[in-house]
Amino acid sequence: MKRRDLLKAGAAAVAATPAIFGGTMAPRSAQAQLCRLEGIRNPITEPDSPAVTSFTEPLYFPPAMAEVPEASLNPPPDPGRHQRYSEFLPQKFYVQHLTEGYWNYHSELSALNPNGGSLAWMFNGATPGETLVARYGEPVFVRRYNDLPDLEHSQMPFGYPASTIHLHNAHTASESDGYPMDFTIPGEYWDHHYAMMLARNDPREALGSLWYHDHMVDFTSTNVYAGLSAMTVFYDDIDTGDENDTRPGALRLPGNLQFGGDDQGNPNGYDIQLILHDVRFDQNGNPAYNVFDTDGHLGDLITVNRKVKPFMNVEPRKYRFRIYDGGPSRLYELELRDQSEMICIANDGNLLEGPVPVTSIVLGPANRYDVIIDFSRYSPGEQIDLVNVMEQTNGQGPTGRRLPADQVMDVLRFNIVDLKGPDNSQVPSFLRKLPDINLEEVVAHREWVFDHDMGLWTVNGQFMDPNIVSATPKQGTAEIWTFRNAGTSWAHPVHVHFEEFQVLEWNGKPPTGVLKSRKDVAVLGPGDTVKVFYRFDDFEGMYVIHCHNNVHEDNAMMLQWKIVK
Amino acid sequence: MESRRKFLATAVGATVAVTAATAASAAAKNDNPALMTCSPAVGGGKNASRFPHVIVQDQFKRKAWFYEELIRDKLVFINFTSVKGEKYYPILENMVKVQEMISDRLGKDVFMYTITTDPYRDTPDTLKTLADAYGAKWQFLSGEPEDVRLVLEAFHARGSLHGLSWVGNEKLGRWLNKPSRLHPLYIAESIARLSTGKHHKPYLERMRSA
Repeated sequence: MKRRDLLKAGAAAVAATPAIFGGTMAPRSAQAQLCRLEGIRNPITEPDSPAVTSFTEPLYFPPAMAEVPEASLNPPPDPGRHQRYSEFLPQKFYVQHLTEGYWNYHSELSALNPNGGSLAWMFNGATPGETLVARYGEPVFVRRYNDLPDLEHSQMPFGYPASTIHLHNAHTASESDGYPMDFTIPGEYWDHHYAMMLARNDPREALGSLWYHDHMVDFTSTNVYAGLSAMTVFYDDIDTGDENDTRPGALRLPGNLQFGGDDQGNPNGYDIQLILHDVRFDQNGNPAYNVFDTDGHLGDLITVNRKVKPFMNVEPRKYRFRIYDGGPSRLYELELRDQSEMICIANDGNLLEGPVPVTSIVLGPANRYDVIIDFSRYSPGEQIDLVNVMEQTNGQGPTGRRLPADQVMDVLRFNIVDLKGPDNSQVPSFLRKLPDINLEEVVAHREWVFDHDMGLWTVNGQFMDPNIVSATPKQGTAEIWTFRNAGTSWAHPVHVHFEEFQVLEWNGKPPTGVLKSRKDVAVLGPGDTVKVFYRFDDFEGMYVIHCHNNVHEDNAMMLQWKIVK
Repeated sequence: MESRRKFLATAVGATVAVTAATAASAAAKNDNPALMTCSPAVGGGKNASRFPHVIVQDQFKRKAWFYEELIRDKLVFINFTSVKGEKYYPILENMVKVQEMISDRLGKDVFMYTITTDPYRDTPDTLKTLADAYGAKWQFLSGEPEDVRLVLEAFHARGSLHGLSWVGNEKLGRWLNKPSRLHPLYIAESIARLSTGKHHKPYLERMRSA
């Protein structure tokens, strides 16, 4: 029986459950025989989503943000609120409004809802919001208005209508970073100044695939799940986005600098952003969330750019896909159904030194991989699916098993259509050099232990307290940080704001393959110890370290640290 | 759970007749909660389906349906400890500080409960001694161990020590949690944050970076 059929059957017979969630639901007496309850989804708290047909909904392609004139901002930007504003005077201005509304996740879900769509929190009327496309050397200013309804009038059954937007993981001054306590309430706005400066003015520190999402204290998981996430692309002198670029050094990766697309599954360009969220829907087609399960939230339907199991049309040529795990808790192993080759070129949005051919990619929440897929091996009229083969039965982490072929989770279908023009893109054998690691510069070692204690997710035995600053690295210095997972069965995607790290050792071994990279999320498996190298430069102020399983984060698995002079 | 709901529905239905027959003395109510006349019908409430429909009792031996009478349509603050657990992971000292911060609202529009994590040992009497020792004026809930375990399970509280507290506005169906030993200001703040009407405050202290 195919999973799709199983889901359909699930709608008819309440007892049926996709095998990924532990097979047919055990009756209560049988549950008592099992060691822990959290692996068994409760049909009352987390019922199956309505049946949804795979690969009938066209993928949504968020357009690039549209500029507004600086003079249209009223009141005008206040340079006094931002570090180094005059050094990095904004050249591009954008405005976003956060609102509550209805979003078509899938026409079959929208049909269940009297409002013609699923409840969503959105940026400028869409989720994901428009893609922030920016270029190093061109500072950006974004004003975000919180126009969500107030607590008493919000229809969204979870989340909290206060918001602070983090640009993950830009080199951003603290006051524009989306610090969890910098939240706006309905009726307020927040100004974000993105300096678009390379860390340490080093071109090797360029970032490529980023995303912006809510970071409201206690409500990050629910607010992001409600819809407050979107993607960001940074271009620089070699990764220019133009596959026909004739300038020396230009990488000419698949691109063409076009964003958005039509509503029939046809994107405008060849550089495509895909953000994955697993969502569970109620019988009205609205997203459902069990706030009481502090282990994590699993959805039973995979959405890509907030479309359930969509399709897109591709030409028989090379594409660059920036693939994001938007969380809240699911890890993925993504592969093409024929297990054919993808070429990984970036880890957590940062170009590798050289491309790494892979047949699958493993992502934890907030991880990003850029891969190039060459569809020229297929013919127009053919189809190839991207699927998830990682088994995960609860929010704590994956089981470590691959799903059998008949149970893999549908993610995205590529329909091969006719070639429209020549493919001038290339996959260079060398991409970007990694910055040097100079251990002589290291002035401090810090250890961060991620654990679970008495119902709390903790870091170094502590939990999020806005009064406590747990580390104060000095600007202009380097440190070695060790992330350790003290758990025996769960995973923790550890994320540190502001700076990228390089792995020195993962469980005592030096990094190889895609791990030889700059990263900002280290997905710690049970018992993992990861030692990384950091530098702290350019800005000062408060930042956070937290688990990016957003449910763990909201259950206090977050500490504050501050860069001081 | 299903059978309990049926039981409750039956009990509510049957109550009318029973009330007429017995005039429902106060003593009878306490002795046999199934005869309680004040039990609202099952089915209402934002999260009614995800909480067990069981009877608990406080340190004064007052019995109540856990969800229908203590949670539904209320703003609640719920924490977990036990006589034994308090020795190893004390939270009540901190909870009393929260109590002071919300004293004008306690029992009026904010309802505070401690649920025992040790339902096999704790009784209303032992919990009353514990509450009195700290000057705790809120309700300490125990009950049939099987019932209390269902309540604990609803909050994913496992083991005899549990350091997470919950704030819920069950008029809106919105909940959040806080570590029980977090600075009381931030716990009080989260109660204000989930409050509606004149008590609603999105924050008590601005902690912004700029």
